[in-house]
Amino acid sequence: MSVQKFRSIEEMNKAPEPHSQVPPFERFLRLCAQYSAIAPNRYPRGVFKFRTIEEAQKAREKYTPLK
Amino acid sequence: MPTTGYANGMDRDEVMRVLREFEAAGLEYVLIGAAAMAFHGVIRATADLDVFIRATPENVERLRIALRAAFQGDPSIEAISSAELLGEYPAVRYGPPTGTLYLDVLTRLGEVASFETVDAEIKEVEGTSVRVATPAALYRLKKGTVRLQDRADAAALRERFNLKDED
Repeated sequence: MSVQKFRSIEEMNKAPEPHSQVPPFERFLRLCAQYSAIAPNRYPRGVFKFRTIEEAQKAREKYTPLK
Repeated sequence: MPTTGYANGMDRDEVMRVLREFEAAGLEYVLIGAAAMAFHGVIRATADLDVFIRATPENVERLRIALRAAFQGDPSIEAISSAELLGEYPAVRYGPPTGTLYLDVLTRLGEVASFETVDAEIKEVEGTSVRVATPAALYRLKKGTVRLQDRADAAALRERFNLKDED
């Protein structure tokens, strides 16, 4: 992979990601597995029901390191 | 992986198994959230899969069929009720008995978003068809929310796909 240089964060964010042989969804799954190993969330098992998405998000934030 | 009292992040094989069983059951769904963004090349870590499903009793039964197949008939799946998902509880979170995935299932988001209102496209992964929200649909879902992560996602989608506020 060659080196890319940017004058600003904004310029860097707009640049296409370096070409990868690994499909994006596969890279996503690997990243999630890595993150989970480093910072596991501890959401209880089972079925939980919420009246609103805000309720659901509040419950998630109580358990997950990913806000 | 040993069973504990907690789900703790996404497991690759479980994600693929769930997506395969969704297709096998004929579930009408659209993938939203970080997993959907990943199909479009915007990648960040998450601990869950978020889906809208079409809000019909038949489709909720397809969801239960898919989850039973994916998680060996876990009895807690029977607590997923069409009366509740179509009524007072439009959001259900499911943490399977083994592995690391948890799943957020929505039938509507406030009064404005539902399976029918989210534009989607079909993506393929390992021979499985996955119905994924388009970048513009994801942007619309995320741009007006107060959650910081959603606002960051919206900004990333807007930049990557040159989306405008009216998109």
